Amino acid sequence: MEILFRMTQAMSVFVVIAYIYCKSPLFKSLTAEAITARDRLYLYGVFSCLSILGTYLGTPVHDAIANTRAIGPVLAGIIGGPILGTAVGLTGGLHRYSLGGFTAFSCGLATTLAGMIGGAIHWHLSRQNRSEQMFDPKIAFLAAFGAEILEMTVILLISRPYDHAITLVKVIAVPMIASNAAGATLFMSIIRDQKNMADRIAAVSSAKAFKIAERTLNILAKGITGESAVALAKIIHHETGVGSVAITDKEKVLAFVGQGMDHHQPGIQLASPFSLMAIQENRVMFAAGGHDRYTCPLSDTCPLTSVLVVPLHIDNDVIGTIQLFEPKNRRFLNMNKTLGEGIARLLSNQLLQARYEMQKNLLVQSELKLLQAQVNPHFLFNSLNTIIAVLRIDAVRCKDLLIHLSNFFRKNLKRANDLSTLAEELDQVNSYLQIEKARFDDRLMVDIDIDPSLLKMILPTFTLQPLVENAFKHGISHTMGQGIARIKAFRTDGRAFIEIEDNAGVFHEKEMDEGHGIKIVDKRLKGHFGSDSGVSIFCVPNEVTRVTVTLPLETKTS
Amino acid sequence: MMRALIVDDEIYARQEMEAMLNETGEFLVAGKCANALEAIRAINKERPDVLFLDVQMPVINGFEMLGLIDERLMPAVVFVTAYDEYALKAFEENALDYLLKPVEKERLLKTVEKLKKRFAEDDKPVFTGPEIKKIPCIHSAKIKLINTADVEYVRSGEGGVYVICANGEFYTELTLQILENKTNLLRCHKQFLINIDLVDEILLRENMVAEIKTKSGRVVPVSRRYLRMLRERLHF
Repeated sequence: MEILFRMTQAMSVFVVIAYIYCKSPLFKSLTAEAITARDRLYLYGVFSCLSILGTYLGTPVHDAIANTRAIGPVLAGIIGGPILGTAVGLTGGLHRYSLGGFTAFSCGLATTLAGMIGGAIHWHLSRQNRSEQMFDPKIAFLAAFGAEILEMTVILLISRPYDHAITLVKVIAVPMIASNAAGATLFMSIIRDQKNMADRIAAVSSAKAFKIAERTLNILAKGITGESAVALAKIIHHETGVGSVAITDKEKVLAFVGQGMDHHQPGIQLASPFSLMAIQENRVMFAAGGHDRYTCPLSDTCPLTSVLVVPLHIDNDVIGTIQLFEPKNRRFLNMNKTLGEGIARLLSNQLLQARYEMQKNLLVQSELKLLQAQVNPHFLFNSLNTIIAVLRIDAVRCKDLLIHLSNFFRKNLKRANDLSTLAEELDQVNSYLQIEKARFDDRLMVDIDIDPSLLKMILPTFTLQPLVENAFKHGISHTMGQGIARIKAFRTDGRAFIEIEDNAGVFHEKEMDEGHGIKIVDKRLKGHFGSDSGVSIFCVPNEVTRVTVTLPLETKTS
Repeated sequence: MMRALIVDDEIYARQEMEAMLNETGEFLVAGKCANALEAIRAINKERPDVLFLDVQMPVINGFEMLGLIDERLMPAVVFVTAYDEYALKAFEENALDYLLKPVEKERLLKTVEKLKKRFAEDDKPVFTGPEIKKIPCIHSAKIKLINTADVEYVRSGEGGVYVICANGEFYTELTLQILENKTNLLRCHKQFLINIDLVDEILLRENMVAEIKTKSGRVVPVSRRYLRMLRERLHF
């Protein structure tokens, strides 16, 4: 019992050392992504000292030493691999051997074997692609536990006289197995916690770095194109140091940089379940390798086994993904996972900004258009002429028409980036129609049918007016016979539709050209509601032109 | 009193113009038309002295309409429009005057002076309009514009003037005279114009008359008088 107590004391010293070690610059060699020869040398030094210290902190028992020497070699083996483990074990073992005693040789041998056990575990975990488990305290516990049982066996097998050996083992077996296993566990858990913290710190600092980049980078000003995708993939590949980086749109690879470039080529259709799932469900997909591994759909010899797929989106529409890969022999670092998600967020923001830029341009365009609309001279002077004529025969109607005319122009003065309800839009359209009806009194029929539940729907100001005006300017005013205009608003399948129909059946391709009224309305709707809204045109020449506005219903009703 | 015809696609614009013309006491409004086709018919029938013509009208605008008027019947033309972007073109078209809607009474009186001066000098308006490429026809209450290249022949009869194409015949308000002058259709008979490009064969008959078979197999008479001209033209 006293031995166990003493050994617990020794173990406590180890825990303190572990803590100090983690805070020292030497610990950096453990947080680096790839362990270099120099790092190995540091590790060898640290763990050899640990092993020798274990001997000195031991308690002399029956011409032998109950000790915590095995912790150093076991941990060195697990972390650094078989060579490092054996080297540390040999060092600790030779030191023990030099101290003499009837167990000198067996203890020295057992310490070397302990390093080899650690190394074997490292090798095994690497092969199984479970290298992230190397820092698992449970593994350290089992390794140290096994190493101590082996040491007891070795003592029994080699140390003579046999009865001395058996007496010794009876006394030291339990305390040594317990203290070495507990020490290795605690030591490893301290290392792991420190390492995780270092990863987290790195992730936070990268996130910061990218927040700055977010403001300055401007590659995406024109959206994701082949060129900007390659530039981005290169930057991300360089910054993160992951095996490879891909940038995709919703269907295909736009850019791929890093390992596997030979077969992951731009233009290839997305096929891995991670990509498809990420796009379909708009969520981050991660395969760490091991059981949950990425299998390249393109090549059997592809070295990539772990992947992080982060969707890129504008508002809530997924427009593509960013994918980070690591090959089989490398751990996918937490840091890179955080970084990958951060980058995707950054890019999404930039894309959003690019879209806002586009909208701003459109706004300028539509304001120009609006300016023209405000002084549409034909409409104004013809209306005034009509009103003057009406004055001769019907003063009350004349007054009504003047009120409609002023209402129309007042609404026209609204700024183009304002929003209106459908009711407000219809109010302006109605004033316009009242005047057009007066102008073409004898040959115009207007039919309006609006689902009243849609009246409060919000849409960009000047959605309806340009379309109705178009139906007159390019449609009805070109027919000699009876003109018929229909305006209809209804809901179907969770969407709202507004139809503006005329019986002229005149449609010119140029109406859907950039900068033209209908196209501007279409772009403004898409800018405001997303891609499932917009304007479409149906035309049967000389019979009917139907312009349909499609709007999503669920979110934007007030 | 000058006989005036008002052409405008807006009913109140026509009414207002009529009221203003009447107020001057110088005009007799011979008719009001809502489009170019009505106007051509009215010109052929009423032979007005002056046309108050809106520029923006459906299908055939005011300028295009002038090209469809028989030159011998050409009245003086006063354009009336809401916006002055056409002013220059109006004068290129030899318009007598150009009024802006809403029309001021004083301005209209100036137009009256100009008109009186023109008629006093017996200064006949001259319009050498462009070649007619499309002939406006009326087809089931709609206006159909027929390319002159598609016309096989044109026939004039008691029912009016008909344009015959491979796919049917269409009524038009235009006279044979203007179609002869402003298209490449040739006169082959007092009542017929023929499109030489769509002639299949010419069958010579006795008494120096002939018949033309068109590409779609229709037969058109050629009178003695025009056969000679046709021969000269076609060198046979």
